[in-house]
Amino acid sequence: MALNTCHIDTAIPAASTLDFFYTLAMVSFRRSNPGPVRYSAGTLAKKGLSGDDWPRVWRDHELKSTYDVVIIGGGVHGLATAYYLATNHGITNVAVLDKGYLGGGGSGRNTAIVRSNYLTPEGVAFYDRSLTLYNSMAADLNINVMFSERGHMTLAHTDSALRTMHWRAEVNKLQGIDSSVIDPQEVKKLAPSLDVSSHPRYPILGALHHPPGGIIRHDAVVWGYARGADHAGVHLHQKTEVLDILCEGGELADGKGAGGKVTGVRTNRGDISAPIVVNCTAGWGSLISNMAGVKLPINTHPLEAAVTEPVKVFLPTVVVSGSLHVYVSQTDRGELVFGASVDPLATYSMRGSLSFTEELAGHILELMPGISKMRLLRQWAGLCDMTPDYSPIMGFTPVEGHLTDVGWGTYGFKAGPVSGEQMAECIATQQTPKLIAPFKLSRFETGELVGEKGAAAVGH
Amino acid sequence: MLLVPCPNCGPRNQSDLRLLGAAVPRPNPNTATRAEWGEYLYLRENPADWLQETWYCRAGCRTYFTLERHQATNEFRNPPMPGDKVGNSTYTTITVGSSGKQAGANEGDRK
Ligand SMILES: Cc1cc2nc3c(=O)[nH]c(=O)nc-3n(C[C@H](O)[C@H](O)[C@H](O)COP(=O)(O)OP(=O)(O)OC[C@H]3O[C@@H](n4cnc5c(N)ncnc54)[C@H](O)[C@@H]3O)c2cc1C
Ligand SMILES: [Zn+2]
Repeated sequence: MALNTCHIDTAIPAASTLDFFYTLAMVSFRRSNPGPVRYSAGTLAKKGLSGDDWPRVWRDHELKSTYDVVIIGGGVHGLATAYYLATNHGITNVAVLDKGYLGGGGSGRNTAIVRSNYLTPEGVAFYDRSLTLYNSMAADLNINVMFSERGHMTLAHTDSALRTMHWRAEVNKLQGIDSSVIDPQEVKKLAPSLDVSSHPRYPILGALHHPPGGIIRHDAVVWGYARGADHAGVHLHQKTEVLDILCEGGELADGKGAGGKVTGVRTNRGDISAPIVVNCTAGWGSLISNMAGVKLPINTHPLEAAVTEPVKVFLPTVVVSGSLHVYVSQTDRGELVFGASVDPLATYSMRGSLSFTEELAGHILELMPGISKMRLLRQWAGLCDMTPDYSPIMGFTPVEGHLTDVGWGTYGFKAGPVSGEQMAECIATQQTPKLIAPFKLSRFETGELVGEKGAAAVGH
Repeated sequence: MLLVPCPNCGPRNQSDLRLLGAAVPRPNPNTATRAEWGEYLYLRENPADWLQETWYCRAGCRTYFTLERHQATNEFRNPPMPGDKVGNSTYTTITVGSSGKQAGANEGDRK
């Protein structure tokens, strides 16, 4: 388990010296514009001893009338894109607009599982890059993201499922990913609470084991990118809803649609002109791209999750069962976090349902009969932008200046870092990077689908 | 769980039915372009608004029919009544009664 903590960049001198130094420093500090403050044990102590305000993590700004890049959606994807635009490419005249609060969409509702053991070579290479970025994130963003590399196990209950696991393991190994099929005895060793006997209706026949997978503190990832982007000069605008995308020259009404180009956005706080408008709104993605006259092959479905009361740690790894439509992991605080596949009904409503908890409880007890008395504390839902092949839609669209980073379905949290990095490169160079080329929108016309359903329908 | 106003059975649990999504006309296979096939196979309306959808009453009367559902509030509007022409068939079974009307009573466009 790799628990990363924040960095201590200065030793703390004696309090009296510090006090004196800081009284002096504060005088000049108050006169100048208080810029971003680097978080560290040193600054925390200085601020505590000087009695001065601990600055807000990111700042509010007036909405400017022009930006070089407008990013719609303040989830991990929008924020990471802004962060890498500013830090990797020096493009800082950037706005991130969110109609609610940062991380209020899927980025604050997911079950925080990260892994790279996908089914297609394109998918594996892409998600593996994200894992690399997650590994150094605590240091890069200077925030405690609590990345717990506890391993990820996908159970097989049928012969055909076991075949798919072997297939995935081979694809993974070819890409240099640590991934292998293990037998029920090894499963029992990794997760002693699982029933590996032949009694259950769906006995455990084996599993795909992926040691580098794990869970991460999702809110901290969002806040880390938000703070990093803010410090680099990006404007983060919360409660700023995009009502329309302004276009000219396109084949549809108001200059929208293929052949046209983007000129800006209309928001509830006024119009912004911008040559580049990026759609990072996940579940709301089709509504946003429709505003530019671009239709996306996306259906929005809710995905539900639930969490139990905390108990002592007994489940050291993430467990997924495709056949039983459940997955479970235990947080560092001891709660069991459960999830399933998306609700079958396409809708923008995030209301939870009793049928979800009922089915979830039934299925989880088939795996772990011993936890039948545990109480569920909470359940919630988020919106998932499902594509036909369970892969995202990234890059350019037929409308110049309108880019998408959507189609994240139930698996997009782990992809946040790599998507931000690649989308930033795409915007800065105006060329599609190799890693995201397979996820182009035009694949639905040419038939070059990147089928990941076998690896992403239940295990997110 | 939604109560779905089946035109034959009246309101039924959502789990008794299967939602097949918006009905899309099949292009002419002799003349369709790649783009048209792509659109037919993959592109779907996904509005946060009213949408006509095809349902299959799999655990009940086993018929296919179209209903209008608001994709953000999950209300049904103007569900078909016995005798209405829905899809290719005319419904004649009289089991809907007042409950069927109730389930679809939200006539106004509550957006
Ligand atoms: C219950 C659940 C469990 C999940 N588990 C996992 C998991 O274990 N692992 C994994 O990798 N993925 C998981 N996911 C998927 C993952 O959460 C999402 O794919 C990911 O968070 C998408 O991030 P995003 O930044 O693209 O979008 P979001 O975080 O959804 O952000 C989109 C933002 O757009 C804003 N927006 C929408 N419309 C407008 C508008 N008109 N104007 C301005 N702003 C607007 C919204 O307010 C929202 O904040 C899960 C999802 C759910 C719901
Ligand atoms: Zn029926």
